[in-house]
Amino acid sequence: MENYKKNQFDYEVIVVGSGAGGAMAAYTLTQAGHQVLMLEAGRDYDPITETPMFKHKGDAPLMAAGTVDKDFGFYDATVDGGWNVPDEPYTRAEGTEFLWWRARMLGGRTNHWGRFSLRFSEHDFKGKTRDGLGADWPFEYHDIAPWYDKTEALVGVCGTNTGLDDMPDSSDGILQPPPKARVPELLVTAAAKKLGIATAPMHRAVLTRPKDNRQACFYATDCGHGCSIGAAFQTTTSLIPMAKATGNLEVITNAMVKSVDVDNNGKVVGVTYVDKKNLAVTKLPAKVVILAASACESARLLLNSKSEHHPNGLANSSGQVGKNIMDSTGAGLGAHIPALSGRPIYNEDGHTSNHVFIPWWGHKKQAKGELNFPRGYHFEISSGFKEPGSYVFGNFEGYGVALKEQVKNYYGTGVYLSLRGEMLPNKNCYMEIDENIKDKWGIPVAKFHWKWSKHELNQVAHGLKTAKAILEKMGAKIKEPLPSPEKAILKGGQIIHEVGSTRMGDSPIDSVTNQYGQTWDCSNLFVMDAGVFASNPHKNCTLTIMTLAMRNASWLAKKLDLDAQKVQSKVEA
Amino acid sequence: MKNNKLEQVDHNNHYKSHVTRRDSLKWLSALSISSLLPTISGCDFLNDTQVNVGEVQRGHWPNLKLSTISGKGYGKDPDLIALSHSPWAKTLSTQQLNLVARLADVLVPREGMVPSASEVGVPDVIDEWVSAPYERQQQDRLTVLSLLVWLDDEAQERYSTDFINLSQQNQFSIIDDIAYPSNDSKDEFIQASLAFSIYRKLVLAAFFSSGVGRKDIGYQGGIAILGDYPGPTEEAMAHLDEVLSELGLLES
Repeated sequence: MENYKKNQFDYEVIVVGSGAGGAMAAYTLTQAGHQVLMLEAGRDYDPITETPMFKHKGDAPLMAAGTVDKDFGFYDATVDGGWNVPDEPYTRAEGTEFLWWRARMLGGRTNHWGRFSLRFSEHDFKGKTRDGLGADWPFEYHDIAPWYDKTEALVGVCGTNTGLDDMPDSSDGILQPPPKARVPELLVTAAAKKLGIATAPMHRAVLTRPKDNRQACFYATDCGHGCSIGAAFQTTTSLIPMAKATGNLEVITNAMVKSVDVDNNGKVVGVTYVDKKNLAVTKLPAKVVILAASACESARLLLNSKSEHHPNGLANSSGQVGKNIMDSTGAGLGAHIPALSGRPIYNEDGHTSNHVFIPWWGHKKQAKGELNFPRGYHFEISSGFKEPGSYVFGNFEGYGVALKEQVKNYYGTGVYLSLRGEMLPNKNCYMEIDENIKDKWGIPVAKFHWKWSKHELNQVAHGLKTAKAILEKMGAKIKEPLPSPEKAILKGGQIIHEVGSTRMGDSPIDSVTNQYGQTWDCSNLFVMDAGVFASNPHKNCTLTIMTLAMRNASWLAKKLDLDAQKVQSKVEA
Repeated sequence: MKNNKLEQVDHNNHYKSHVTRRDSLKWLSALSISSLLPTISGCDFLNDTQVNVGEVQRGHWPNLKLSTISGKGYGKDPDLIALSHSPWAKTLSTQQLNLVARLADVLVPREGMVPSASEVGVPDVIDEWVSAPYERQQQDRLTVLSLLVWLDDEAQERYSTDFINLSQQNQFSIIDDIAYPSNDSKDEFIQASLAFSIYRKLVLAAFFSSGVGRKDIGYQGGIAILGDYPGPTEEAMAHLDEVLSELGLLES
């Protein structure tokens, strides 16, 4: 074991992970003049040279269809990851279905994420106060609102203020203009309106105006492939190069952190990592350690960092590490809309995702007790004249010219509504360490437990009925009965919004960190990924991960400055 | 006459792989792999499959025992810019490929200036698909190869020759029995109809994802736009207004 270039680069803070949380923490600290060493378990990754821009599906192996090697299709940006990472298994309790998406690459999952960037509201932060379920967050919306502004401005989010109760406004001048709605989205809007349901422009971390070194979107090529021009936000084209440019950031890739290390008094003194290339084990000292390895990876790391002072794992005196895991609920319903058949074709690529979505509209009904589930959901809308790939939409018969005609009549007529809803934490959804199985690096693996509660199932049932009603208003003929919610709901982890494994709170008794992501047990150990979420509102977690990381790293930076001043004044005295 | 006809059949039934569809490196690579692994690539139809030919009767469906495709996939970190070919060897025999091509052209024939499925290399894509070492493709492999065997069995039963040697009229007499699954298909054709539906979707995907197919379906995206996304055309908006009106969704 050896110390890392101690003499050349005198970092104060180690950040584990380079995705949304880690990169924002590193960016914020380095901008404030603090030196940061970032450890990334995957390989280096450069979207400028590696992104398959303007590649046709038909030119890829298997028409770019998803496989176990590339779950979301050949061109998906995810490197060395997916539902399975070679040499890094995870296990599930008997009867548990759970999927854990990991990306082993610089920038982590920000390279391929959906870029949906919706703010949580006061309503979202105080669910327990309202209905007695789950946990409240340890701050108010107004504490976090200015940080949402700063994050949205830095990241670049397109959308508009709608005034809807599910969508808190951004300050003036923060949001970039959203792209125009497409025809099927306008049809959904008209149909939903008849049911008293409003649609809104989706907020997405996609530039419609240039920013820093990043270009505005040119409305072609799927964001999920990554974005070489930097329009679709990923940390590898923004926060990481910007942090590097300060001279205060160094990154070690292929560095799989094995443990967070403590001294004889139980104080965090650094981390130990395995170099995946040569299996060398290295101990790195640090004044402060920030975990941002993803909710479940950070929890795994804490649980694997046992010591005399922390026998149940580090920062786990509450016993809450690995508990309270929440994903978003996922389900969906789609249909062929006959009225869209033969509509005039134009370029519907847009920013390659929905320009319009359906925010949660049921707050008032829930307040009146009219719904049998406590938390909301939204619908994402999938539609359009998409680039043909390995799947052709439609029910066909026959052959020849008449068959081709059928394909053309179906083209651009499909509308799919994807439900994404809030899940409540429950005692059956958690992770622990599987002591029997280690990954290639000798690290015991995570074992997942999962069971949906009636809150999620009732919500999904409501969502399916609503989706059917909207589609039927659009003229769809849905003959098959709706599936049961138990069948329709996607597996735990499948929406890739797993959060809550190191939740923040007001008290060390039932939470792992305070509102700044500082662990109650170790003042120089922070968590800045989605593990700290106290609840999991239906609105996609990444914007809030980044917002919290910016706020909390700013708080840490000030603390480090104060400590430095104290040391300085001591020296001078 | 007879000779003429044979010639025509020959001409139509010998599928030539399309080097133009993807870059030629793919072929160099496939060739080098196949020369190393002769037992996987280019394996004989009958060596590859064990057909219960003894039991051909009404409602027959071949019970194929296929050797597992055990080659490697493209892995977790393929080169997304340069890799346009699959690392696995293609496995269809010439005989199978010819039948695949014939069926592909029945499904997507030449239409004026628009080439047919085999003219844009669809059989190569099917070959790549059914030869891929992934679960879904392995399922489709069994389906497609069973369909090919079934067609020959059926042709033998009706006309005492393989499907590919039939006149177009006789070929269509068989295909017409399996191409319309929504009608009350006779029991004996149910499995073949299901298989044909899966094959049809594969051929359509392979055709419409080609450059020719993208153009034919009318896809207009994949082009960089300077400035804001223009949104729907006036014509598209006018059509939407009609739709809203028909559905009773106009603002009152």
